[in-house]
Amino acid sequence: MAGLELLSDQGYRVDGRRAGELRKIQARMGVFAQADGSAYIEQGNTKALAVVYGPHEIRGSRARALPDRALVNCQYSSATFSTGERKRRPHGDRKSCEMGLQLRQTFEAAILTQLHPRSQIDIYVQVLQADGGTYSACVNAATLAVLDAGIPMRDFVCACSAGFVDGTALADLSHVEEAAGGPQLALALLPASGQIALLEMDARLHEDHLERVLETASRAARDVHTLLDRVVRQHVCEASLLLGD
Amino acid sequence: MAEAAAVGAESLSSGQARAARAVLGQLVLPGEELLLPEHEDAEGPGGAGERPLRLSPAPRSRVRVVCGPGLRRCGERLLVTKCGRLRHKEPGGGGGGVYWVDSQQKRYVPVKGDHVIGIVTAKSGDTFKVDVGGSEPASLSYLAFEGATKRNRPNVQVGDLIYGQFVVANKDMEPEMVCIDSCGRANGMGVIGQDGLLFKVTLGLIRKLLAPDCEIIQEVGKLYPLEIVFGMNGRIWVKAKTIQQTLILANIFEACEHMTTEQRRQIFSRLAES
Repeated sequence: MAGLELLSDQGYRVDGRRAGELRKIQARMGVFAQADGSAYIEQGNTKALAVVYGPHEIRGSRARALPDRALVNCQYSSATFSTGERKRRPHGDRKSCEMGLQLRQTFEAAILTQLHPRSQIDIYVQVLQADGGTYSACVNAATLAVLDAGIPMRDFVCACSAGFVDGTALADLSHVEEAAGGPQLALALLPASGQIALLEMDARLHEDHLERVLETASRAARDVHTLLDRVVRQHVCEASLLLGD
Repeated sequence: MAEAAAVGAESLSSGQARAARAVLGQLVLPGEELLLPEHEDAEGPGGAGERPLRLSPAPRSRVRVVCGPGLRRCGERLLVTKCGRLRHKEPGGGGGGVYWVDSQQKRYVPVKGDHVIGIVTAKSGDTFKVDVGGSEPASLSYLAFEGATKRNRPNVQVGDLIYGQFVVANKDMEPEMVCIDSCGRANGMGVIGQDGLLFKVTLGLIRKLLAPDCEIIQEVGKLYPLEIVFGMNGRIWVKAKTIQQTLILANIFEACEHMTTEQRRQIFSRLAES
């Protein structure tokens, strides 16, 4: 695309960040009193809200109950005002269903579902403002919400997106960088063991570059883990302080 | 809100396992691995630091450590699965004691031996289905009341509140509860009387209120005469002389979680005056 330089000669991106820098992340846990667990996260301008209910009885048909583990049900919804042009269908369209499926795969890898057979865990994520990296923001918000609900997890799940421009791998793409049409990769990682929960890319990238882009995305996901770690510690400290520990 | 500016290429060194003893009382997060006391020495330079001098090559006696809520065994180590503070209880007899994570949650998971308040949702044949707030309704047999026989059935209707304890509560089976203890006496369990108010709080608050010498209970007792039942599933039933007093008490318990000791004392002194 002529005119829009995603990476300047000095190594600065459109919003002034360096290639491997993340956007500013702010997060809060326990935003809703009614839900079992809830969290809100802002990654730059991308804002996502996650709410968790469970483990509770299977809703709908009993036949869906799994005899040895819990059913994880994820729903993704993006608000009509979240994008530049008003969206007609907030949920139920193909992209939302696919996102829901990806979130389910991610969290089935991290939640210890075998501790709650024949029950259901619901994770609802809503994107309030979409400025690139919506999958990562959803995963990070949902991790905090699941921790707030006290559901046992193997590890945190931290996600970040990465792209490739001019021979350099960029971390945490914004909407402008995503719309430019280059390859973009979304990675969800379990930081302690380094295991990948989900890796998604639907563009063409030469295999020589894959290693580098993956490395950038992993490092960015670990940085996100550092931040989420701090948020969780602060929240639990406040809660236990009031309970008089 | 916890703010964090964009960071460079720093990564949290989460690959090291710490000794469980060193982390007691501190915050632990899922993904962390803890070393049991008997394995600290075997880990080499990264371990606790002290190496006892062993004069005889006798095998070390294995100490049995119980892994409580929030921890899972992962090979030779303990994997933390919930966020909270790590606690330890010394063993009475032999064994290495119990380690667990003190975490906060609203959703109850049935545990054998817990006393809970349930709501009767259905009568199916000889058993009642009781909603205890878990992932399945618990079953309660009509014979599990004091003095109940086949001819003398207890008077339990749908919608009644029941205070009972679990005899079967594991992840594979439907939970079962009873309203008698092992000697056959009710011991306070059974159908909870008329009137009063049932409300929900978090599980951590219940544990705090049920701890011995809880200040809140003593202060509340001085305020109004009341009847109160605590269920480990986060439900509290309270009854005072008038509806207004009952509502005041319910609001106090719900707000207790978010108040510091000072604020609570102010509220109590204000209520005692009026």
